[in-house]
Amino acid sequence: MGIDPNSPVPIYQQIGDYIRSAVAAGVYRPGEMIPSLRAMALDLTVNPNTVQRAYEELEREGLIEARKGLGMFVTRNGTTSAQTKSEQAVYSAFGQGIRAGHAANMPAMHIRATFGKAWKDVNTERSGK
Amino acid sequence: MTVNTPFDFAIETAGLTKRFGDKAAVDDLTLQIPPGCVFGFIGPNGAGKSTTIKMLMGVLRRTSGQARLLGFDVANRAEKVKQRIGYVPELHFIYRWMRVSDVVGFCGSLYETWNDKLCKELLALFELDERKKVKHLSKGMVAKLALLIAVAHEPELLILDEPTSGLDPLIREEFLDGVLRTICERQKTVMFSSHTLSDVQRLADRVGIIHEGRLLVDCAADELLTGTKRIRIVLRDGCSPSEPPDGTIWQRFQHREWQLTVRGYSPASVEFLQNKYPVESVEVTDLGLEDVFKDYIKGQRALV
Repeated sequence: MGIDPNSPVPIYQQIGDYIRSAVAAGVYRPGEMIPSLRAMALDLTVNPNTVQRAYEELEREGLIEARKGLGMFVTRNGTTSAQTKSEQAVYSAFGQGIRAGHAANMPAMHIRATFGKAWKDVNTERSGK
Repeated sequence: MTVNTPFDFAIETAGLTKRFGDKAAVDDLTLQIPPGCVFGFIGPNGAGKSTTIKMLMGVLRRTSGQARLLGFDVANRAEKVKQRIGYVPELHFIYRWMRVSDVVGFCGSLYETWNDKLCKELLALFELDERKKVKHLSKGMVAKLALLIAVAHEPELLILDEPTSGLDPLIREEFLDGVLRTICERQKTVMFSSHTLSDVQRLADRVGIIHEGRLLVDCAADELLTGTKRIRIVLRDGCSPSEPPDGTIWQRFQHREWQLTVRGYSPASVEFLQNKYPVESVEVTDLGLEDVFKDYIKGQRALV
């Protein structure tokens, strides 16, 4: 995974998003350990405090849990929790698109039609693979 | 034996000022950096970053104000305190005729807490050839050697003055890796000045922006990004902007389009504009650290 240090998205959020998508995709399964703070910090070249902040947030969401002296593990409901979060991310990405349409003064019908076109194009692209 | 005086802040200044003639290079600077914090110090060339760091290190005498490192006044720092601080200056003072092994041996003899094992690890990580003379090292190699001798005694506080300027991206990453390794081991406080904002994003959990000797911002790195937004509104014909919302740090009006960068943004910032002006459309976007930094400085320059 890579971090984009020039992005407006704070790095702790980028790390959180990455772990969520990795859990949703099954890279880390329930009961498995995720990388330690130190390993993650060195791997991504970021401050360990930032990784910790990301892990704390994931812990609050119920995606991971700490086991004393061992590290952070994906919880039993981790995959479901990650998928719910991913749905929220998709929802907010759509929201951003709609807002961009409004900002450009596009009529509602056009925004809908544009969504339909994107939907079709992406699906054609995927089935073409 | 009063070395371990308790301190709330690893670095603390109050009203720190340095004048060169009439000009204040550093003007009434107040900083409080808690232990364990990685503080990124940014500002345009000549803003006062190096002058501040030199005063903290006791290389330059302050005109007025207070400055403490690890609880000790920087003006009369005892030998014992120096042992607990690591410093990489803007220009590396390393004897050019020495071999890398001589430099390491020389510096090692100065510190009681010099860690030979860590030193060996860093020599290997940085691929520094011990037999080479300093004058035959590349710029990147000298920078890595400077970092090595600043951290091998495992200081509690590490101060770096533009450590990665002029280094290629690969050496920069190795250098940052070296800094991170030292942060990861024990809770350490780091202050570093830089123009490479992506490095600041990676390492700093707190950011200070200095401009013309004055500190404009000092806050958590994440908060600076999430709390600062760019608003772009298009105004109806025949209307021109006057009063911007609170927290505006930069603005520009051009051909119906009013762009504003607002610190401490909330939906109320947009409501304020919508209530006050006939607005055609509104768009709010997030900003990266580089844009936030540039808008702060441009906003300040526009005030003059």
